[in-house]
Amino acid sequence: MSTVIDIVFRLAWWLLLAPLLPGIINRIKAWVAGRRGPPVLQLYYDLARLWQKEVVLSTLASPGFVAGPAVGWISLTAAVLLIPLGPLGAGLSFRGDVVLMLYLLALARFCTTWAAMETGSAFEGMGSAREVSYAVLAEAAMIAAMLSLSVHTGSVSLTKMLEPTAGPGAVLLAAGLFTVLLAENCRVPFDDPNTHLELTMIHEAMVLDHSGPPLAVILHGASLKLLLFSVLLTEAVLPMGQLSPFAATGALLAGVLTVTIGVGLVESFLARFAFRRVPLLLTMAVLLCVFALLIAWKGGAA
Amino acid sequence: MTPGPLLLIAASSLAAGFVGGGRWSKTWLGLTLVGAAAGFWAALIILLGPPEWEWWSEFSVGGEFLHLRLDGLSALFLALLSLVGAAGAVYAREYWSDQRYPASAPRGRRWWSSLVLSMGMVLTTSNGLHFLMGWELFTVSAFFLITLDRQSREVRAAGWLYLAASHAGTVCLFAFFALLAARTGSWDLGPVREQVALAPLLWLALLGFGVKAGVFPLHVWLPSAHASAPSHVSAIMSGVAIKMGVYGIVRFSGWLPVPALAGWIVIAFGSLSALLGIAFAFAQNDYKRLLAYCSVENVGIILIGVGAALLAISHGDAPWGRLALAGALLHVWNHGAFKSLLFFSAGSVLHATGTREMSRLGGLWRTKPWTTGLFALGALAVSGLPPLNGFVSEWLVYLGLFDAVTGQGPAAGAAMLAAIMLGVAGALALASFVKAGAMIFLGAARTQATSKTHEGGWGMRAPMLALAAVCVAIGLAPVLFWPAVVRAVSVWHPVWAAADTTAPLVTLGWVHVAFAVSVLVAARFLWKRARQNGLSRALTWDCGYAAPTARMQYSGGSFAGIAAGWFAWILLPVTRRLRPRGPMPEQALQQQRIPETVLERVLAPAGDVIIQISTAVRRLQHGHLQSYIFYLVAGLAALSGFVCFGGKP
Repeated sequence: MSTVIDIVFRLAWWLLLAPLLPGIINRIKAWVAGRRGPPVLQLYYDLARLWQKEVVLSTLASPGFVAGPAVGWISLTAAVLLIPLGPLGAGLSFRGDVVLMLYLLALARFCTTWAAMETGSAFEGMGSAREVSYAVLAEAAMIAAMLSLSVHTGSVSLTKMLEPTAGPGAVLLAAGLFTVLLAENCRVPFDDPNTHLELTMIHEAMVLDHSGPPLAVILHGASLKLLLFSVLLTEAVLPMGQLSPFAATGALLAGVLTVTIGVGLVESFLARFAFRRVPLLLTMAVLLCVFALLIAWKGGAA
Repeated sequence: MTPGPLLLIAASSLAAGFVGGGRWSKTWLGLTLVGAAAGFWAALIILLGPPEWEWWSEFSVGGEFLHLRLDGLSALFLALLSLVGAAGAVYAREYWSDQRYPASAPRGRRWWSSLVLSMGMVLTTSNGLHFLMGWELFTVSAFFLITLDRQSREVRAAGWLYLAASHAGTVCLFAFFALLAARTGSWDLGPVREQVALAPLLWLALLGFGVKAGVFPLHVWLPSAHASAPSHVSAIMSGVAIKMGVYGIVRFSGWLPVPALAGWIVIAFGSLSALLGIAFAFAQNDYKRLLAYCSVENVGIILIGVGAALLAISHGDAPWGRLALAGALLHVWNHGAFKSLLFFSAGSVLHATGTREMSRLGGLWRTKPWTTGLFALGALAVSGLPPLNGFVSEWLVYLGLFDAVTGQGPAAGAAMLAAIMLGVAGALALASFVKAGAMIFLGAARTQATSKTHEGGWGMRAPMLALAAVCVAIGLAPVLFWPAVVRAVSVWHPVWAAADTTAPLVTLGWVHVAFAVSVLVAARFLWKRARQNGLSRALTWDCGYAAPTARMQYSGGSFAGIAAGWFAWILLPVTRRLRPRGPMPEQALQQQRIPETVLERVLAPAGDVIIQISTAVRRLQHGHLQSYIFYLVAGLAALSGFVCFGGKP
């Protein structure tokens, strides 16, 4: 029973805090640009409004158009349960949960792209094609990053893997994971969440036709994914297991905030890359993670 | 009950099916189902009960006494054969019916019985000579099944290519079994691990069985054969027949002493097959070719597991090898189930629309809701996504590889590379199946001809549902299937016989169940919420364009364009382009074909060179008597000159 309460409690935190991140990013961007910007809680208002709105479905869409967002959201929710929270540990932890986490993210991707293809819109086809293609490189980087954590700690369970700092390769790993975070969450320089030039988008282009509660679920899922990646990045770099509970909580919050501010600053100072250059940047992320892996492998043995 | 009588029942009903199947289709179906059920039961007995069954007979075939053996490993494959053999037989009744194909349907039934029977023979016999006989019968039966629709030129070409490639593989197997018999002094097969001198023979087996398994670059026959065959045949070819190659590799790498290099080679070619197989699949426009190339990928995944197990054995029986092998063997079942399901769905589409080109399809979900749902399930499973069976086996392989990496042994580097390749292949598989599902079933119909279609009847739906149930069952309760897999693993390497596991399958199963339930609840809840708020239908918004047409949809080629571009160095696409010219262009065209690179760019040119040399040499033989006499005189003169100047003959 206590595990159920624990899981519910954790989920509540994850789900409630997630929409805060895009708000913070927007605040940072506004601050850098000298604007006032939307309120930090804007996404909460948007979600509440969308949840009440009616739904307009494309005449071509099958039931998968609504089921896709639901399944995608559930897989992201399940994925965050596998992420440990410092000394609290994970809601669910077992040997090999790291692979499950990666594949739950993949399932969310399958659902989003499948739902996007339902409408027969060329824009959404474009978005899906970019999403699934860039994910190929991001997946390679993620596997290499997870392998390096595994080698460093000698474990295949996220709770153990994220306990110490990532060792001498931590800087490389952080850079690689941060790049993957930007790509997977469709931030600048891979994608621009603010643009309304549909031709240049990935994530926004895929959800053009969604409306009402399904759109709310998609937006919330996206913020959850951002939070997941920020927590993962923070814990990979900071030695969570060696801190006292209070220090760890503080470090985690500070880390997530730093990552979020970092995303906001990158977005303020960088322009979106041309799509031709996106694979190059992602390849760089793969190489960073592979080098982190090599350092963990060869450096650890020495 | 021992498996003996059951196997006898299975063999005799299949043989009776072969004899009488031509005329009596209902009796044939009954006989095939009885045969499959008996075979399945026999396999279950071995997988769950006594570990081995062996039978020597006084009856001899070809001068050798019959010697049958069913152990955990062969029973694992026999169970898959029975399942797909039965499902395909049911499916074929509607798909390749007597009304639609009066000439070839009876032939198809006979050869189906023969194919299942011969594959069963390959799995159960323990005599090299009989193995070869069964193997040859299996190859030939498959050839006749592939060429059922022999009016089509494409089908005949695919059939011949299959036959030629298979026989190239069989040559290696002939050499392998003959040398094995010569060195051991008997055609009987069995464990001979202690005779270290036999190790080099394994290379012949790897090559011969590799052709049948469709390992890159020996896969040249596979795409065209699987694409051109009738879909129920593609299903058994992809689901089971290529697994016979895998069976051969696993069987003989378990029985023979293994050369030190073999593990490295197997894991390398496994990774290569996984990556390039799926890269080719992603670029295809023909959905059956896409499925066929995807089989190359899955055989690659299986071989990654087998290779890791071989490496583990040569590095002190590390337990991670056991996990990888268990994953590989479970993947044999899983791939058999979901790939047959996908080929059946593809057959249902082909049956209704008559085209294999994705660029002509679209929007079929409206008329074919069952096929769409089942294809989506198969697509999720083949992409290795939780909570279905594909994920369970890939997870086991990953776990083996991760353990190998954390163990920091000499195999860590190979395991790292294999794990990254596996991840990339998984992401590409997801991309391929989003593409296939979207192009065939979603959006709007791209051509008029395919807009009016029908759903397959229950005869086609029932076997698909059965296979889908297998995919779901293995996904939700993997621990139930674990003992069977461990039985097979322990036959391969008796040291790994312990039933316990370092993979928390029970936890994974519960997570999957909880996940599946939440998914259903969430989808239903969201749908209800949407209906509560008010649902209306409108044109696809598409940023406000008011008159979208089906031709404006994203095409499969564009969808695959980005990632296929990264593999252009091996895909070598052939593009025909007619650019629009002038202010009012009258026509424009872009066609792209992905050739089978190894076949068309390597083997065919090599063949051309050989034919050119032969043609040049043939000029010597032209039927002019004078010239022949001149050859003789010149030869004699040369010889006498040789002797005169002191040469010793």
